[in-house]
Amino acid sequence: MSEGLNYQFLVDTFFVALSGVPIALLITIVALLIALPLGFLLALTRINRIPVLNRFAQIYVSFVRGTPVIIQIFIIYSSVPLLLASIFEKYNINMNVYDVNPIWYAFIVFSLNTTAILIEVFRSALSTVSKGQLEAAYSVGLTNVQAFRRIIIPQTLVVALPNICTATVNLIKATSLGYAMSLQEITLRAKVAANVGYNYVEAYIDIFLVYLILCSLVEYIFKLYEKRLRRYKAVNA
Amino acid sequence: MLEITNIHKSFGNNEILKGVDLQIDKGDVVVILGPSGSGKTTLLRCINFLEKADQGHAIFGDIDVNLKTASKKQIHEIRQKVAFVFQNYNLFNNKTALENVTEGLIIGRKVSKDEANEIGKKALDKVGLAEKYNAYPSELSGGQQQRVGIARAVALNPDIILFDEPTSALDPELVGEVLTVMRNIANEGTTMLVVTHEMSFAKDVANRVIFMDAGVVVEEGTPKDIFVNPKEERTKKFLKRVLPEDYIFYI
Repeated sequence: MSEGLNYQFLVDTFFVALSGVPIALLITIVALLIALPLGFLLALTRINRIPVLNRFAQIYVSFVRGTPVIIQIFIIYSSVPLLLASIFEKYNINMNVYDVNPIWYAFIVFSLNTTAILIEVFRSALSTVSKGQLEAAYSVGLTNVQAFRRIIIPQTLVVALPNICTATVNLIKATSLGYAMSLQEITLRAKVAANVGYNYVEAYIDIFLVYLILCSLVEYIFKLYEKRLRRYKAVNA
Repeated sequence: MLEITNIHKSFGNNEILKGVDLQIDKGDVVVILGPSGSGKTTLLRCINFLEKADQGHAIFGDIDVNLKTASKKQIHEIRQKVAFVFQNYNLFNNKTALENVTEGLIIGRKVSKDEANEIGKKALDKVGLAEKYNAYPSELSGGQQQRVGIARAVALNPDIILFDEPTSALDPELVGEVLTVMRNIANEGTTMLVVTHEMSFAKDVANRVIFMDAGVVVEEGTPKDIFVNPKEERTKKFLKRVLPEDYIFYI
């Protein structure tokens, strides 16, 4: 370290960190695919005060929001294998719990976590769409599903999009905690590379840059999409 | 054509409708007057199932239905016959004027897109918005929005259009354009049930006026009956309050 930064290592490790991007993105996409519809439906149960589900969603959100992601990871990562082991034993499935790819645990943790965040995002967005929009849809003969698909959801999305963007960026950054489950994502790969020659500063700079680029790109894509969705609000709004 | 008997509706302990009967024939323009809180709007909303009545019976043409226990299918059928114009317009914010008008045709009634566009444009022309097909609600004035709302109802070619205080949310100078449109469609023979505070509209356009107060129909008759010779004390009091001192009723 005394000779300053190892530039060759800095450049090489940048690409090592970059090779973790597909894993980080895969987790992000899977988590969003699960959390977007689930979060929306649970938000509806909150708004419409559906008994039981409403309370469930409320408690669920406070549990997830009230605990650090890293602890959620530790809990899932240590309890699910125990659960699986007992199931395998009971049904005589010949499979080693420790062969399960940690990415499955990542899918579970991040889907559960993002769902809770999106429940709140959708709940506030839904409350900005006036009840009159739904009534008008009914009055012209739309069914419930048609009204939601064509009138309510498009308007909710516009309002929710900036917050969905924030949730997505937070999710991408949170996947860095996957190293705690020895997940081969950005942070772990760069750190492992650094272990050899103690080039931690270089590795951290690389990790820093990769997340920065990735998140900026995602934000940019969201901005473009939002601009397209918002066109009906162009004037007085 | 539309016959409603004994509608009851409460919100909590507050009984808003206490057994209202209503009969409307084809071509009728019926105006409901009454102080705020008298249940006019709730009555309209119950007819279209935007509120579920606690009790009551309705006959819409060939559909005979209990307002409390109506099935989803019955509600859907009735909504195909009844159009609604809202106080706050309630245009679909994410749709252009033309899309607002055609939405119910294309999605609700399975009319082809070309045909729906043709009907929609005609309806918008009729309310004087031929220039605004592609404008979003946020680009329109309140009066224009309400005219789109009326075009949306007219385009569905319903048996009856319900108007819930269509001019109450408008700036005074915009009320005229909406009332003109309503007069025009009334003159074409559209069956209308209108809740309004516009006395001139009730006087000139309605063939029947209903005065409601505290959840019951107090009095009903021709505009002349109600405005010139009101029988009930409550009607007289109300008219005295809403009509200017020197108001002279003439036909």
